[in-house]
Amino acid sequence: MLSRRIAYNILDTALATGADFAEIFIENNVKNSIAVINGKVDKALSGRDFGLGLRVICGDRAIYVYTNDISKDNLMKMAKDAAASVKANTRCLIKSFEKIDYTNGVGEIVIMPDTVKKKTIADMLRSASSVAFAYDDAISQTQMSYMDSVQDVCIINSEGLWSTDRRIRTRASVSAVASNESEKQTGYFAPGAMSGFELYQQIDLNKLAKEAASSAVTMLKAAPCPSGKMDVIMDNGFGGVIFHEACGHGLEVTAVSKNASVFAGKLGEKIASEKVTAIDDGTMKGKWGSINIDDEGTPSQCKVLIENGILKSYMSDRFNGKRMNYHLTGSSRRESYRYMPVARMTNTYIAAGSDKPEDIISNTEYGLYAKYMGGGSVNPASGEFNFAVNEAYIVRNGKICEPVRGATLIGKGAEVLMNIDMVGDNLMLAEGMCGASSGSIPVCVGQPMIRVKNMTVGGRG
Amino acid sequence: MIDEKFKKKLFETAAAEGISDIELYYSRSKSDSISVYKSNVENFESSNKSGIGIRGLYNGVMGYYYSEIIDEKDIPQIIDSIKQNAGIIDSEDEEFIYGGSESYAKVNVYNDSLNGFSVDDRIAAAIEMEKTALEYDSRIKSVSSAVIATGESEIYISNSKGLDLSEKSNYLMAYIELIARQDDSTKEKGDIWIGNSPAELDVQKLAKSAADKAISALCGSPVSSGIKNVIIQNEVFAEILGCFVGSFYAESVQKGFSLLKGKLGDKIASDKVSINDDPLLEGGMSTTSFDSEGVATYNKAVVENGVLKTYLYNLKSAHKDGVSSTGNGFKSSYKGTVNTSATNFYINTGSSNMTQLKDNLCDGLIINDVAGLHSGANVITGDFSLAASGFLVENGEIVRPVEQITIASNFFEMLRNISEVGNDLYFTSYGIGSPSVIVKGINVSGE
Repeated sequence: MLSRRIAYNILDTALATGADFAEIFIENNVKNSIAVINGKVDKALSGRDFGLGLRVICGDRAIYVYTNDISKDNLMKMAKDAAASVKANTRCLIKSFEKIDYTNGVGEIVIMPDTVKKKTIADMLRSASSVAFAYDDAISQTQMSYMDSVQDVCIINSEGLWSTDRRIRTRASVSAVASNESEKQTGYFAPGAMSGFELYQQIDLNKLAKEAASSAVTMLKAAPCPSGKMDVIMDNGFGGVIFHEACGHGLEVTAVSKNASVFAGKLGEKIASEKVTAIDDGTMKGKWGSINIDDEGTPSQCKVLIENGILKSYMSDRFNGKRMNYHLTGSSRRESYRYMPVARMTNTYIAAGSDKPEDIISNTEYGLYAKYMGGGSVNPASGEFNFAVNEAYIVRNGKICEPVRGATLIGKGAEVLMNIDMVGDNLMLAEGMCGASSGSIPVCVGQPMIRVKNMTVGGRG
Repeated sequence: MIDEKFKKKLFETAAAEGISDIELYYSRSKSDSISVYKSNVENFESSNKSGIGIRGLYNGVMGYYYSEIIDEKDIPQIIDSIKQNAGIIDSEDEEFIYGGSESYAKVNVYNDSLNGFSVDDRIAAAIEMEKTALEYDSRIKSVSSAVIATGESEIYISNSKGLDLSEKSNYLMAYIELIARQDDSTKEKGDIWIGNSPAELDVQKLAKSAADKAISALCGSPVSSGIKNVIIQNEVFAEILGCFVGSFYAESVQKGFSLLKGKLGDKIASDKVSINDDPLLEGGMSTTSFDSEGVATYNKAVVENGVLKTYLYNLKSAHKDGVSSTGNGFKSSYKGTVNTSATNFYINTGSSNMTQLKDNLCDGLIINDVAGLHSGANVITGDFSLAASGFLVENGEIVRPVEQITIASNFFEMLRNISEVGNDLYFTSYGIGSPSVIVKGINVSGE
């Protein structure tokens, strides 16, 4: 997307005032989306994001400029502007570029999104909508959507890196609303992958639509969730959002290096119950949160974050990692050229334990069984987190009993990790979007069924 | 601003390819952001970007395409994408390319004085903001963000029906986030200011306000679970209102996603509640004289003394209800399709100050922070359950900070249960405003 000579000139100009590192990130991202509301195609949109970001690092300062005007004149002006605020006496030399192409590094794409007819996609979504409506008379609305993106990137830096990569992702969402006179409840699933359209040969959207309808109808009949402290059993899959929020964000060097995380300075210490082993693995084939290389060009890695309760690793990026002399972990990510990359998660999960899910339930006298979790958020400094439960049941005398709606779970990350007392053997991952300072990026969360003692549950009952 | 040659060729090709009406939406923006850490510039971000959103009516159906490259070579592919996207739409609602309103209000959204606020001035302001916070109280241990950002943007809409509109605006933003510690208690709080006049920027005030929020929240504890009366502070109520504002959109009502369906003319809130949507508000975050369809905007009462007066309409939803657009047809950017959006949408001020609100509450809680609105709220039914913190109030006085509780209620029920409205109207950074309010009977989960 850029000639060697222009790239060299940009980096050279950016380093001319003494900076120690310069990096170019170019992106071309072709996107498509279709939305079907109540069985009818309501929106179809396509377009192209294109731009270039230039990052210059000088000691503890990072300068980032970006544009979608890649004329040579504009780029050289940008490089000059970026260098203008740096005044150092060093002169860093640009190493000769070594080109590496990572395209197809994680999984081979079988069906390129641009070869799929829009009608095929619309038919698939309309079919899912019919299935949801057919499930129960209480289903009053449906929303089905589909998106794909083919992102080509090229990362070039003054240390001689010239890496190209192609990230192909696709995701669908199915949502069904069940209504009666006074209430409306929604069931929702959104599978996605780092893959082409073949994803929809592997998953059955109709089945998920039916499950979304079933969840909405169940919740429609549910009473409001009681509030107070109780044991909470979180099922596998999206339940892993608890680890993502309660701990994951606190292990990013962005927060750790500024002592703005409860987990700062705790490497090698026990921060979780010995039942907990947690992993961030960007290398998993075809997973939604996987990356071939991160957005600084570092190949993705599998990291054990916590091993039997002991903190083993943080997640790092070049700029924030340097503040605490931490090595690169292939975690530096960004939504697009509009963001400076920072340490983020990829596919992050609590590893399988040895407890049987049925034993976890039968061993719980009273508590909440959270079958499907919603989203959440955390403040890494205090560790205070919250998240929503989409489908929940009361557990009484070791049995799953009546459904309850509108439950929210809150707590502090450091405490909740210590209070995980049972970990199941049924690990599963689920897809989500994670928002932070470098934008919204695809990630997987995951866990087997776990039990947390004595959590604060909020509800209206 | 837009390449006239590109536009001419686009419109000509569209006409030749059977697209009856076509519209070009172009935006260009620049931004600079300076972030300071330990009195040094830590990050300097600067951007210069533009994009086009093109839509056209093909066989009476609207097709969309966007791009961040403006290149004549791409025109055949743009036209093809518009036709393909239009070709699969099933929705039978009529869509419009608009020729323009009779007149447009003049709004004051560009401040020339901002151009004189140099990079050095901004660095100095960010450093002063950080320093003020750190020196304010020994319990302030670090400032995690101290940011001064500026930007300007220009949008331009032109279509084959003769519409030709543009608007240029700029902004100045200051943002601070800091950490307070005492014993085992850590609190991170922040504050933000947005305007476009450097003369009105008071970084010391902002730093102190954020510091006060963090310090006052230290060493809190839960309260017992139960049903309580609460003062919901302006910032928090504005955030909650913003979360449910979609219920007021005719589009949501028509698609069955709003419980306000069939409620026009009905009492939906307490007498104390009046809500306006005012796109012409001086100094508002969402102030603009026209929407993304080119319809002139105007101030309107949405709720008057508790009675629902109107929904917010774009051209499509208005046509469906047989009324005129309220000028609320907006795209989120050139990338999006036209949806509905509130502008400066706010609950009108009442008369009570905070002391009077506390006296009136007597016993209960002040809620000054919530988390989890993006996940813990059902935007259709209005049900929510959120992590919350604030203060315990006894006999009209603040007794201690409260944390690790949840509050749960229903937005529509809460509107009916507002017993008092404060005089401290506050706007969020996206233009939703509210004063502090007293709400009776909220479920609190704590110890």
